[in-house]
Amino acid sequence: MNKNTKALWQSPWGYSESFLLSFGFLFIGFALEYTSGTSSFGAIVFPYNLIFGGIYILQIVLVYFFIRNTATFKFLSGIPASIGAIVALSVLVVIMGVTSQVPMQEKGFVNNFGLNRITSSIPFLLINFYLLFILAMVVIRRLFPLKWSNWGFICSHLGLWITVFAAGIGSGDLQRLRMDLIENRIEGRAYDAKGNYFELPLAIKLNDFKIEEFRPKLAVVDNTTGTLYEASKPSLIMIEDGLRCKLHDWKIELEEFYVTSGRAGDRYYPIVDLGAAPAAKVKLVTPAKDTITGWISCGSFNRPHESLKIDDRFSLLMTVPEPKRFSSEVSIFTPDGRKQEQTLEVNKSFTVNGWKIYQLSYDEKMGIYSSKSIVEMVKDPWQVYVYIGVFMMMIGAVYMFWRGNKVKNEETINVVSD
Amino acid sequence: MIWSHFLLAAGISTGTWVLAVFLPKRVLIRNILVLAGIASIAIFIAYLWFSLERPPLRTLGETRLWYAFFLPIIGFLTYWRWRYNWMLYYSLGLSLLFLFINYLHPENFSKTLMPALQSPWFVPHVVVYIFAYAFLAASSLVAVRGLYQEYKSDLQPKVMLMADNLVYLGFAFLTLGLLFGALWAKEAWGHYWTWDPKETWAFITWLGYLVYIHRRFHMPAKFKSSLWILALAFVILLICWFGVNYLPSAQFSVHTYSQQP
Ligand code: HEM
Repeated sequence: MNKNTKALWQSPWGYSESFLLSFGFLFIGFALEYTSGTSSFGAIVFPYNLIFGGIYILQIVLVYFFIRNTATFKFLSGIPASIGAIVALSVLVVIMGVTSQVPMQEKGFVNNFGLNRITSSIPFLLINFYLLFILAMVVIRRLFPLKWSNWGFICSHLGLWITVFAAGIGSGDLQRLRMDLIENRIEGRAYDAKGNYFELPLAIKLNDFKIEEFRPKLAVVDNTTGTLYEASKPSLIMIEDGLRCKLHDWKIELEEFYVTSGRAGDRYYPIVDLGAAPAAKVKLVTPAKDTITGWISCGSFNRPHESLKIDDRFSLLMTVPEPKRFSSEVSIFTPDGRKQEQTLEVNKSFTVNGWKIYQLSYDEKMGIYSSKSIVEMVKDPWQVYVYIGVFMMMIGAVYMFWRGNKVKNEETINVVSD
Repeated sequence: MIWSHFLLAAGISTGTWVLAVFLPKRVLIRNILVLAGIASIAIFIAYLWFSLERPPLRTLGETRLWYAFFLPIIGFLTYWRWRYNWMLYYSLGLSLLFLFINYLHPENFSKTLMPALQSPWFVPHVVVYIFAYAFLAASSLVAVRGLYQEYKSDLQPKVMLMADNLVYLGFAFLTLGLLFGALWAKEAWGHYWTWDPKETWAFITWLGYLVYIHRRFHMPAKFKSSLWILALAFVILLICWFGVNYLPSAQFSVHTYSQQP
């Protein structure tokens, strides 16, 4: 146990120095965050991020060349330094994990130190650069001299480095815009989160917006508060043909159901019309064996909803159906004169001219009658590099599964339990 | 039709696997039985795919079918590589559980799955996590045992070797789970990572085990600190698994899937 007798900052450095360093960075970061106020920095964009990234790599290479034979390099590329940096990052991420990360108006402790927006705070930035620097040192040390037996290590560590680096400096170049498509209209402009419009090098025409819905559900609400009554589970039951079920203490029988219908006189009839809404005739039996029969409907944008009063306290109602799937049939026009027919669907994006187009939403008030489709357009020129890193890490993980821990078994076994 | 075929397939899997559990001595026969059970699910999925004329990945019931298929495959691979019998039985048990839930809820073959979850990434993402959690939970049991032995001043190095191997396997799956999640998010929504509370805690968990691995590599002869790190990492894992929904940070999580009426 000579570790305890070594003075701090005396070579070789170990865990104490590592933790002092990384928590020092944390401290400096928070101090800077406090003094700079809430003027959070924006992400840097092309070409500045490329220049900056180049300088960062150059700096790593230079540092390596100047210190590679020193004890400092041994320290910076060793596990104590790594663990210090990882723990410092963990502290920030734990803060993120327990506080809600939402913008706040009032000044105060949380806001002054950026605790409610950790990912764009200075300490987070600083620790990430530090961690990335240490990781670079770690990788370089195993890279020279190159040995085949290190391939698994290189895959996971270099892969992680590439992923974080590319995702980090590439984030400023990521463009995320929305486009509102109206049926049979050609749209060439998209807007960002602040509402600024941009002209795009492509245009989209929405030929047809299709949406399928699930059946609506039955639910009981409290008349006075209007909240869902949840005395027993399930508190929502999906309507099916011939449904007979028990909802809380009431027995319910479905007598008629129409997916699209309209009220005429004392009942609903199936119709096909703009805004025609689902409706059902239900029979409800109370625990006291009273029978209540009536129509319920969830209504639509142009039809009222209707619920069935059970007693003074409760009513039975039909919920607005949830979407099952929705998709847009579009024609995409590009400047080279090409026209491509595509179907956009959630989880099925389409890439054209570097823009990835995602089905995002529609006019939810209109439900199945929506003729508007909202798509998101994302351009992320750095994605390939991030993916290279991610796939390297995946290979590293499979390697880890296959090899398991054979690393230091000898030394472990030779420990005589004290 | 689909239902009766499901009953047949699930029945074959259940039968072969129950037999497999009772015949653990005859390894070859047991392995063949396990594989036959897997094949029966595979054939049913193929049939379903064919008769629905779309990939059966849309409803909860269909998704569970994929779990029931992939779990024993990974369990078998793990067994094959590492001879962990318990992992094989664990995966068979979970798989049967999923089949059983499908049996109890026939309507689930046609029930709600929100569009965002209707993705081929969903199943690998979740299945890989199930394995990661199983290995890591097992490693913490070992850690508790180690701490107890340590308390009795009778710590066996064998315990550390066991814990190490379980963590390595669990960590490999955890990493894959995180990466699958990130790729899925990128493909589906255009960003890899949104620091949603569940993601944040999954990342903290990952960091915890990362520290353990590196500490062990650095100081293979020091057991006590590593055991404590492992125990702490498991606490974080439990927060990630169960606790996230109760944290103030979780108000807007996509991973809670709570639906407004
Ligand atoms: C994807 C994440 C990571 C995985 C899977 C991983 C895995 C491993 C493994 C299994 C070893 C044992 C050495 C070997 O297998 O040959 C190791 C060593 C090491 N790792 Fe990591 N690690 C990861 C991230 C990191 C990070 C973020 C750092 C530091 C910033 C780091 C620093 C080190 C160091 C310094 C060693 C010792 C290398 C040596 O002494 O030769 N690792 N890592």
